[in-house]
Amino acid sequence: MTQQPADPRAAFEELALPLFEPLYNYARWLTHDPVEAEDLVQETYLKGLRGFGSFAAGTNFRAWMYRILRNTFLTSRSGLRAVPPISIDEDPDTYQQIGVAETPESLFFARVESETLRVSIEALPLVFREVLVLSDVENMSYREIAETLSIPIGTVTSRLIRARQKVRNTLRGEG
Amino acid sequence: MTNHLAPEEIEQVADGEAGLAEHLRECVVCANAVLSAMQMKHALRAMPRFTPPAGLRSRVLVVPPRRSRTAWWVATAAVLALAIAGIALLRARDAAAGQLVDLHTTILASANPVDVLSTDRHTVKPWFEGRLPFAVDVPDLAPPFRLIGGRVIYWRGQPGVYLLIGKGAHRISLFVFADDAVPRAITSHAGMSIVVWRSRELAYVAVADVPASDLQSLRQAFARD
Repeated sequence: MTQQPADPRAAFEELALPLFEPLYNYARWLTHDPVEAEDLVQETYLKGLRGFGSFAAGTNFRAWMYRILRNTFLTSRSGLRAVPPISIDEDPDTYQQIGVAETPESLFFARVESETLRVSIEALPLVFREVLVLSDVENMSYREIAETLSIPIGTVTSRLIRARQKVRNTLRGEG
Repeated sequence: MTNHLAPEEIEQVADGEAGLAEHLRECVVCANAVLSAMQMKHALRAMPRFTPPAGLRSRVLVVPPRRSRTAWWVATAAVLALAIAGIALLRARDAAAGQLVDLHTTILASANPVDVLSTDRHTVKPWFEGRLPFAVDVPDLAPPFRLIGGRVIYWRGQPGVYLLIGKGAHRISLFVFADDAVPRAITSHAGMSIVVWRSRELAYVAVADVPASDLQSLRQAFARD
């Protein structure tokens, strides 16, 4: 360990710099814009550095940084526009039948172009897009996603179900 | 085949959050659903990642530089002195408006803007009972307005009701305080519309990034009830 406990900045850098590329990737998914994503990542690191004293050692640093990035995005102009005006978790019935797929589709996603998939994910409302990106692109566990987004694990699951269903529908031309 | 896995279970298995259920060995429908979720997961992971621009990594931990040229500082100081004088004048007049706009923005930016999330006024109104020294009539809002939820809020040491109201894609903050807690002169602030009205010893302050006429319509909705 090269960490110097007496130097919080060095400690922060050691923890935060390995997250640089994932955070930028997440910022691009949130903002859809390279310049905004760049600003967002810079602001996230500055806020993280300034607020590092409030980070509780032993808790999940990755979720903490993602949360700063997301909260910074939500307070930005485009972030405020992206938040839905109503709760999207109130209609659990909409995914009751998802488990029963009518046609085999084991090769379905193998045939889908990355670009097509990217466009269909970008079209998702923020709450679905972020949960899908954190789970499937950033490989976070449900618990880590719940911590990052400050939502219950059950909500993570239900949003993931609906996010995947929406992507499937779009790719099948039903969306 | 009966008793298929619930949608949650299918995602949990696909995400490695739950072990393989025995049911999957004998049910092609559920196995296929798990496979589909896993296929999507793998397709997403295989997508090209966004690459940060060159040089960003070295910039992210650099605190913005402070310029040190004297001329720049002199000019800035002069502009600042003027600006501060102007701001002080404006702020004295608009302090309350500014604080409420800040509250509005802060709450909307929060992950949990409301503590009681309901479109039903019969849920929201009782929730406030016992939490506040006064009661607020929450009307049955007709389109285009819809109730999203509410919370208790403190402003200038005074407790109040915060109602989050939707209108299309916009969200409106409605603050309700005891009448004497809200100054008489509140104007629009930083491009936000603010409308204040008073009724039954309560002051209502609506704040949103919508035309003031929309907030007047909301005011009428409250007056009707």
